[in-house]
Amino acid sequence: MAERGGDMDAPGSEAGRAVCTAPAQNAAQRPCKRPGRSLALGSALLACLLATVVLACGVGSYPSTAGQTLLALLQALGLRAGDAVDPSLAVVIVDIRLARVLLAGLTGASLAVAGAAFQGVLRNPLADSFTLGVSGGAAFGASLAILSGIAGEAALAGEARVLPACALAGALTALGLVLALARAGGGPLSGLRRETVVLAGIVVSTFLAALISLLKSLDEESVASIVFWIMGSFQGRGFEHAALAWPYMLLGAGLVFWRARELDVLALGETQARLLGLDAGRSRLWLLFGASLLSGAAVAISGVIGFVGLVVPHLIRLLLGAGHARLLPASALLGALLLIWSDVAARSVLPGGAELPVGVVTALIGGPFFCLLLARKSLGGKGREGGA
Amino acid sequence: MVDDAGQEISLPRPAGRVIALYGAFNEILDGLGRAEAIVARTNADSTPPRIARLPVIGTHMRPNIEAVLAQKPDLVLQMTGRKEASLPVDALKKRGLRVAVFHAASFAELMSVIRRVGVLTGAPAQAEDMVLGMEARLAALDAKVGATAQRPRVFFEVRSPNMLGAGDKGLVAEIIRRAGGVNCVTERAKFARLSEEELLRLAPEAYLIQRGPMNPAPLPLAKRPRLRTLPAAQNGKAWFVDERKYSRPGPQSIDAAEELAGLLHPELAAKTQAKHTAAPKAGARSKDRK
Repeated sequence: MAERGGDMDAPGSEAGRAVCTAPAQNAAQRPCKRPGRSLALGSALLACLLATVVLACGVGSYPSTAGQTLLALLQALGLRAGDAVDPSLAVVIVDIRLARVLLAGLTGASLAVAGAAFQGVLRNPLADSFTLGVSGGAAFGASLAILSGIAGEAALAGEARVLPACALAGALTALGLVLALARAGGGPLSGLRRETVVLAGIVVSTFLAALISLLKSLDEESVASIVFWIMGSFQGRGFEHAALAWPYMLLGAGLVFWRARELDVLALGETQARLLGLDAGRSRLWLLFGASLLSGAAVAISGVIGFVGLVVPHLIRLLLGAGHARLLPASALLGALLLIWSDVAARSVLPGGAELPVGVVTALIGGPFFCLLLARKSLGGKGREGGA
Repeated sequence: MVDDAGQEISLPRPAGRVIALYGAFNEILDGLGRAEAIVARTNADSTPPRIARLPVIGTHMRPNIEAVLAQKPDLVLQMTGRKEASLPVDALKKRGLRVAVFHAASFAELMSVIRRVGVLTGAPAQAEDMVLGMEARLAALDAKVGATAQRPRVFFEVRSPNMLGAGDKGLVAEIIRRAGGVNCVTERAKFARLSEEELLRLAPEAYLIQRGPMNPAPLPLAKRPRLRTLPAAQNGKAWFVDERKYSRPGPQSIDAAEELAGLLHPELAAKTQAKHTAAPKAGARSKDRK
């Protein structure tokens, strides 16, 4: 999991240009992208997202026309009075499809921003919520809730939020463990070092995976529910889940966006960051906390969805460069788009109204795509070196 | 005697030490008056009450081979519903145990299973009686329900919130049909995965939620806002039913069909109850609880 070539290959190192302190070793890197390009891309993504919200509400197994879809959406927004639409169709379009579009959008954006932040803080191109054990913690929390029946009993009492709450608690506990372990492993004087954080994350997530296997083997009857939850899905989720998650997502996003410049500085390396007057350990801690809140909240409502946090920031870095002030918002938009359409595919590709877990769809899209990115990147790198 | 895996089972004498890896066999053996032959049980199956204190040998899909061998059974019974259920069968056979494998996806198959279990455990006459009783009750139910022209569209929820419904193949589908309903899921499979949206499209007029190991704590339909426009939710025809009664092929499957007929056709229930004392009382029904 460690990066291949030290500082030079770290994903954020291009950002050196953005803060105008680029060390000489960055000379081999591709030139800064034009600033106009990020504006164009940003507005294009935003336009796509708006169109997507409407289009994605028109797809599904319940028969609906484009006109009915628009009418139901306008009705829901209060822009159109009356009951022109059949009530079942209104429920399908607003309470099921629109709610899922909203959830998928929030989750996709959160995962992408969290991924970008994790990669920046840890200067590891493969870092995401998996690496830090945050996803594993959420999955363990949820499995425990399913197995112990807490989730079920609470559901009977009409409290469908217990499962997400357990998942979020699991995610944050896992992060706490990772940080404590990293502190202990790094020695008293080192602060929070990225190498030890990555190692601690791998240790904790491996252990959590073993614990989840233990839970699964204890109860055959719960395996289906646990596996289904872990694979990630928006099936059966609604506005109430969005209501649960958005405060954490907002807080996490606020923390990460607020410190976007620090991400750029951290990308230069420990020494440079200190020379620039940044308390690297403290800054990392806040950024990790913010990113964990984001991915914890996302995992809590949707289960574990892979590859969004990995593919999206990489793609945006290729297009816009690694300055986090542009990378983070663009990643959020693209992440939302990717997950909304993945969810549309998840709920519509199988015949007979069956659904795929959306985590499977993102893995199917993301895996090959990520290979392509890596191949292109290494080929491109060779080309540039040859020309220099 | 040939089991449903096509293997011939011959025992020197009727089995006196039986382990059922599937709970419904215990009910069958109890009904045949052979419950004393049961020497162990799986973790999840503790009915009839007299077997609750027996040693536990693991689960339906993963019995502990060592624990099974320790009981020295002369017959092990397994039901094939899931693919995983056949894995332990081979392991047990390799160690010299006689394992009979059965399959019951309809009342006809169930009766055949009961007859063969009767033969294997030395109670063929009792098995014949049980089957005749079931046939009589089915015929009475058919006579009662057959006349009704109005057949509500029924959805049977196997599991939620990752929704699984009963498909049009299997005992649950036959229970629905015999009880005077129409399964709104037409997929020719035992189970059908489907989304809430698809459920709204199918628009069932009656909604059964099974409660048991596969669906430990489902929400009542009234507490699922996204399904509020379903005809079943609007007209209040939603009930919790017992997974053990409906989804496990056994003598109680006939109770399930009679109970469901009473739920779907309350106008006929009174007559059914008067004639057949075995039919469930209204109070015994699992109603849509809050």
